[in-house]
Amino acid sequence: MAFAARAVKVPPNSASLEEARCRVFDFFRTACRSIPSIIDIYNLDEVVTKSQLRSTIASEIRKNAHITNPKVIDMLLFKGTEELNNILEHAKQRHHMIGQYVVGREGLVHDRDPKDEGISSFLKNFYNSNYF
Amino acid sequence: MALRTAVLRHVRIPVQTLTLNGSKQQLWSLRFMSSHDDHITKAEVIERVLSVVKSFPKVDPAEVTPEVHFQKDLGLDSLDNVEIVMALEEEFKLEIPDKEADKIDSCNLAIEYISNHPMAS
Repeated sequence: MAFAARAVKVPPNSASLEEARCRVFDFFRTACRSIPSIIDIYNLDEVVTKSQLRSTIASEIRKNAHITNPKVIDMLLFKGTEELNNILEHAKQRHHMIGQYVVGREGLVHDRDPKDEGISSFLKNFYNSNYF
Repeated sequence: MALRTAVLRHVRIPVQTLTLNGSKQQLWSLRFMSSHDDHITKAEVIERVLSVVKSFPKVDPAEVTPEVHFQKDLGLDSLDNVEIVMALEEEFKLEIPDKEADKIDSCNLAIEYISNHPMAS
């Protein structure tokens, strides 16, 4: 029940880009501070370090660095908070975490082998993602 | 019972005070688990802050000095800045309040803040 209440709470919109920016940093700090418990919950200490996870979170945020609309930033922050809550509530399993945040989307197929370099870019894009 | 009293009557333990005042070292080891009295020295803070900054993936370790400014000198952005501050929090087992954390934007300020922080370890 507690987590349902937390999940539906929507803060008021950011008034300005500056406020949205501060909220992003606050979210980043919250996420960083929960890294130790995430590593505990999912037994990630043998596959990843805290600083690697921090960089992963930062790069997920940086993917959206071009966005300047405060409302869109608020929406993305909400999704990020939701994701963080789900992770902390153990709504995921270990392989979800490893697949999404440790190996990364392209980690398994991305030029690991020298023979992969000649592979067609169509196939690489196909392995990477559906979303263009 | 009689045997016990007989034995006890013959055993003598010399009375002496505990020798705590003699050695500081012993006193220190008595307070081993205490969080007091183990302030880290400024030299150690400098060394550990620099090693944290140097181990940051985007930073060229050769450029890091105690005076370096994260964004102006190392070419990092504000998110990297926050990331470094979080790494410092983890290294020194601190929790830096957001307002203070926003102000820390150079090695110098970080060293200053951490060496003045009573809980840094």
